[in-house]
Amino acid sequence: MRLTRREFAAGIAAGVAAPYVLRSANAQAATIKIGMCVPVTGPAAEQGLWAQNGAKLALAAVNKAGGVLGKQVELVIEDDQTTNPGIVLAFSKLAAQSDIVGFLGSIRSTQVHAMAPDVLKLGKPVMIGGTDPTLTHMNNPWLFRYRPNDSYSGRVIADFGVNTLGKKKWAIVHSTDAFGTAGGKALASALEKLGTPPVLDQGYANQSQDFTPVVLAVKQSGADVLGTYFTFENDIGIFARQLRQLGVNIPWVGSPSVVAVSSTKLAGPALYGTYGVADYAEESSEASKAFGKAYRDAYKFAPDNQSGWTYDAITVLSAAINKAGSTDPGKIREAILSTKKFPGAEGEYNFDQNGDGLHGYNVVRNEKGTIVYDKHIEFDD
Amino acid sequence: MDLVLQLLFTGIGIGAVYALVALGFVLIFRATNVVNFAQGEFSMVAAYLMVVFAVDLGWPYWLSFLLALAGMALLGAIFNLGVYYPLRHRSFLPVIIATIGASILMANSVLAIYGPQPQVLEGWFETPGIQLGPVYLDSQYLLIIAVTIVLVIFNYWFFEHTMLGKKLQATSQDKEMASLLGISVSTMIMITFIYSAVLGGLAGILVAPVLFVSIQMGSTIALKAFAATIIGGFGDVAGAIIGGLALGIIETFGAAYISVPYKDGFAFLVLVAFLVFRPQGIFGERVAEKA
Repeated sequence: MRLTRREFAAGIAAGVAAPYVLRSANAQAATIKIGMCVPVTGPAAEQGLWAQNGAKLALAAVNKAGGVLGKQVELVIEDDQTTNPGIVLAFSKLAAQSDIVGFLGSIRSTQVHAMAPDVLKLGKPVMIGGTDPTLTHMNNPWLFRYRPNDSYSGRVIADFGVNTLGKKKWAIVHSTDAFGTAGGKALASALEKLGTPPVLDQGYANQSQDFTPVVLAVKQSGADVLGTYFTFENDIGIFARQLRQLGVNIPWVGSPSVVAVSSTKLAGPALYGTYGVADYAEESSEASKAFGKAYRDAYKFAPDNQSGWTYDAITVLSAAINKAGSTDPGKIREAILSTKKFPGAEGEYNFDQNGDGLHGYNVVRNEKGTIVYDKHIEFDD
Repeated sequence: MDLVLQLLFTGIGIGAVYALVALGFVLIFRATNVVNFAQGEFSMVAAYLMVVFAVDLGWPYWLSFLLALAGMALLGAIFNLGVYYPLRHRSFLPVIIATIGASILMANSVLAIYGPQPQVLEGWFETPGIQLGPVYLDSQYLLIIAVTIVLVIFNYWFFEHTMLGKKLQATSQDKEMASLLGISVSTMIMITFIYSAVLGGLAGILVAPVLFVSIQMGSTIALKAFAATIIGGFGDVAGAIIGGLALGIIETFGAAYISVPYKDGFAFLVLVAFLVFRPQGIFGERVAEKA
């Protein structure tokens, strides 16, 4: 059989077009995809696992309830290696997949800063857990936060320490990364407004093997209360043990990592009696209790904010896409921003125009290794 | 003064850890003329072996310790056969790259088997430390310092007063000549890898109760230990010990009196200063003689 020139040309055209047609057809029939940048390796690999647990739990619930726009939802995971270059690479890999409609970014502010320019360029919604207040105030309309930012945590730590514990001489210890620096500043600012400026503001570099100089600085400052913003639980473990060994037993009110599951396990008795502001506290609401129970049933241990925020991010994003009735990024954005009074594991979501979903913190206490809910403080501004 | 003593103790303690790992670097460098970038991972693997034996299986601490070191000896032998031996006739570069590859393989293997959760390993002693006047002495750091002193003495005796030690030295100084004298070079290199893996493992087990057991623990220590070997004089056993202790003390005092966030910066500032002004390190002459 001889091919005519026309038949040959048609054959070539069909051959070239076939993969695109098939991919398009496949995309029509396939799942709704959500990309997730998460540490699978690196110092935060453990927290990355908790984050995946939370996201997968929410995904199962969404799919069981009928999915999104009538389709099942699929999570596409990329390892961010707990580094800034790692998350930029992970996000670019995910962004290259045009059928991904929304993303989960990082809980680490420094990583969100690193990926933010690419998020702006792509123009699709990215859910984040980083708590540096500036993240939602830098003219990037595609970042949506599922944890209360540190302007709130600083105010809650200061308010609780000054007004509830009655302490006036503060030592602040914070990581020098974006999260720790912003948190330390927020706490110092809140203390100044209460008329009790800190007597010590001490930064440290992440992944330190020894905190003796920091502990001695706290001791020498004469502080009667300690406020902290630690990024990594390993660091908290080492710091807490050295703090107690060197005889510093002042009250300690810290950012959420001080009451995280890993810190509680690693530091053991050195963290007993510590107060923490926690975005996730199981006893704080019915939705939090329900999430806690579902998580424990699935994974056999208690959740913390690492899994709480990803659970909420998947749940709210899925609801928003359903509400938008489309995967158009602009419509999803509008739907997320219009989310009000949504009961999540981390609290009640009322998104403002900056993309901040939560506006308050819980205060919890480490009672011999068990994290006990104390109270919730909500802000209107 | 109290502050100075407390910082000095801590600096010596953390410096002793660097010194132990640096010793492994130096021994392998002397024997093979390559830097083993997997030395830090030896520490990490040994710490995880301790967790498996002492925590997961609940075996006695001393037995777990001996088994972990035996495991490290085996790993050292496998490392030599799998990473160094096939490339022994190549230039130093492929071997160094192979050690980097092996370090990544080890880290990710442990991650795949054990997961990313950091583990707690209790120390040797029931008492976490003793208060000596104004200075608190962490019992684990005391043990680390004691082990370092014992190892310094042992190394001196072993390398200077035993036939095996002299054979190892001869091999490290001139492989061809050692071979002509009837020394089995490949056996000596095998022993060096085994000993270095055990030393690295010992450092990991000793430091685990202080820094916790995590996938990253090895690489964090190894970076400083590598700096310590350069400061001490690459290839010199005494240099590794002095370099490690100096680094620990410098960074601790630098953090206390100048800046905590730039603590690591001081260590590497000293490293850069040595590379510029005295690249052969503190004990450089001996290396120059060897060259």
